Amino acid sequence: MRPVFGEFLGPAGEHIAAAASFRGELPYAAQCQAVRQLDIIVATLARYMGDLSLPDPFGPARESRSGARTRAAPARLALDRAARSLRPGVGGTDTDQGHPVVGHLSAAADYLAAGRDLLHTHFTDSGTGLQTPTSWWAPVITSGPVTAALLSELANYTHDLASWIAQLAIRPRASPGAPTAALLALRDAEPWLRQAAAAMQTAQRQRFPPADRKLLGAIPTSIPPPRPALGADEPVAVLCERIPLTAERLRHAALAFSADARWSAAATSLSWRRDALASAITSHASDLVLRTLAERAGQLGMEPLFGARLRTAAWHMVEAWQSWRAVAGQWDIVTTGAVRGAGLTPVAAEIGDLALRAGRLAYRNAHWTPACSHASLSRDPADLAYAPGDIIIVLATVHHATDAIGRILASDRDAVTVAAAENRLYVPVRLLSDKYDIPHPYTPAPRPHTEALLTAYHTAAKAASRATAFLDDLAADADAPSSLLAIARQASTATRRSPGRQDNQRAHAQPPIVTPVPGWIEHTLHNLQIRDPALLLRAAVIDEAAHELVAEAVAKTQSRDVVANQTSRSAQVAAAQQDLRCTPRAAQPMKDQVSPAIPRFGSATVKRTSKRTDHSCSTTRR
Amino acid sequence: MVSDMPVTNDIELRLRQTASMPEVLSAGFDAFEAIRMIARDCEDRTPELFAAFMTAADAAVDGREALTIAPSLSAGGTRPGHAIAAEADPGQTADLLAALAAALRDRLTSAADLAVLPGDRAACHEAAAAAGRICQLMARGDP
Repeated sequence: MRPVFGEFLGPAGEHIAAAASFRGELPYAAQCQAVRQLDIIVATLARYMGDLSLPDPFGPARESRSGARTRAAPARLALDRAARSLRPGVGGTDTDQGHPVVGHLSAAADYLAAGRDLLHTHFTDSGTGLQTPTSWWAPVITSGPVTAALLSELANYTHDLASWIAQLAIRPRASPGAPTAALLALRDAEPWLRQAAAAMQTAQRQRFPPADRKLLGAIPTSIPPPRPALGADEPVAVLCERIPLTAERLRHAALAFSADARWSAAATSLSWRRDALASAITSHASDLVLRTLAERAGQLGMEPLFGARLRTAAWHMVEAWQSWRAVAGQWDIVTTGAVRGAGLTPVAAEIGDLALRAGRLAYRNAHWTPACSHASLSRDPADLAYAPGDIIIVLATVHHATDAIGRILASDRDAVTVAAAENRLYVPVRLLSDKYDIPHPYTPAPRPHTEALLTAYHTAAKAASRATAFLDDLAADADAPSSLLAIARQASTATRRSPGRQDNQRAHAQPPIVTPVPGWIEHTLHNLQIRDPALLLRAAVIDEAAHELVAEAVAKTQSRDVVANQTSRSAQVAAAQQDLRCTPRAAQPMKDQVSPAIPRFGSATVKRTSKRTDHSCSTTRR
Repeated sequence: MVSDMPVTNDIELRLRQTASMPEVLSAGFDAFEAIRMIARDCEDRTPELFAAFMTAADAAVDGREALTIAPSLSAGGTRPGHAIAAEADPGQTADLLAALAAALRDRLTSAADLAVLPGDRAACHEAAAAAGRICQLMARGDP
């Protein structure tokens, strides 16, 4: 079995809860190590925040690139400040790594980091600062409900950690005499963690049903399961176990290959023909299975409506296999040309496994193959599903197969559409009427042939969509194991419909420490002796937003007239960035000229000098 | 009564009478086309044989595609006439196709051994393999 996110998130929460429930005294050596582990946890939580796609309503188009303009920014900045508070307490070689609190915090840090790594397996760096999805789970991960569920979990953990620190700090016996540096660091970090937890709750916004928490926990690592070997005699239980594995492998392969479909030598009519053939056989077998299940539901006295819905699902499956049959028929004539040694796509090479197992589930012959010699009657209803629970499991198996076929269809349809647009579809000249006198084996497919092929795919896509949607509902109502497919589809569909979304890409992971030093506003608040973390956090958010705004403006300016004013512009750019990044210490009078890029904040005005020779900063207050 | 029997008999006869490589390739091409069309017609007649006929039709396209790029295949367009009666028994049709595919496999295998051009040899080998698959799919005894 592949690891799933819940296997990391759950234990992380348990370890944090266990650490937070510790009520004994924390020896000095353990304090240092606890701060170290807490620092790691906080950094990991900040990285989670940096990963999240939480568009700011005012800048949805830039959400993927923006750090500050996301709803996660306050939480990330609060965690950043918490980490900064913890740093002075990290240190000392005389540490107690065997203390239970340290052990729990260390384990929680590991689980959280591993969980984040698991989520990252579903994306790859595109080289443009964005992460490109590499699995069908990626849009689920970036979906609103799953993001909200993750935020809720992380907010709870952060809150638990803050509460634990609070009770530590009020126990003077924990460190007789003056508080240790570690305890002081913890005390300083505690309000920031509370701010972070509150910011996460605020960013969450969306309410999410329990199913989405279940979906969050079910996100697997983006590595396909091993190919189940075809057994000579696989009973129903084994088939119901292996068909979903094969389906998952095919889903993964279809998406993985889609990026290569345009140039790969294996993207040929041979592969698409194989897909259509196996999909038709699988859908045909699924039709038989669903009808047999409906019969069995009646025999077991299950609710008549359930049986009727199974029959309706079978009817949808008839539409599906007939439409696949039509696609296969179109490939009888249209071709990409015979190319020896081109091979098959990964999907085409393996989809036969799905057809074979679906057939063995539908028919009595345990050694069923498409050959006439293996033809047999459909399974006895009681053999297919002995008890009501078995009906649900077989239904889930059909659901998995149908879902995989639908995704393969979408992938193939897109690839064939591109092939048609690029005039890579042909017909054998010998099959055309005698009026064609072409001295080649193939000729470009006449438009009616191409249109008929694409229409067949379009019809099949609609039929597959109807069948999948019906099985989604049926599986969800029956609480079938495959109901996660339905929840995931709903979540990813919602993501695609969100304004400003771009192909489910998400921002490249933000570094945990986003602002090396406090920005201008935050510094001003510090100077005003403001210690309220809520106000300081607001200041940090404003600083970061301003920094990004200036960076964006600078980039626009540079692209506009990079040649004309290269020298002077570069100086202005550097100065503008430096002024907003640094505290205002560096500002020196510069011929009384105020940079247009630098705003005036209250009574504090920043001026810059043309004689700046280093990166030091100073403040001029008037 | 199976009305496609004359068609398959004609093609089998033609396969046996071919002498030159272009003739073998042309007859083979038409034989695969006949098998494809007959198999497609029979696909939804019996649910138990749906997969068999669909896969046979697909294999027939494989065989035809292999022969299409053979260098010695003549450019002329010849097409096999075929008709199948609505009452034709799918089992009997499977038997006919198995027999035709076996004849096709044997003829293409022997042609491959005599082929001068590597392209013709490869085409005959691939097409013979496809005919062999059809034979296995359609045979109703032990494959």
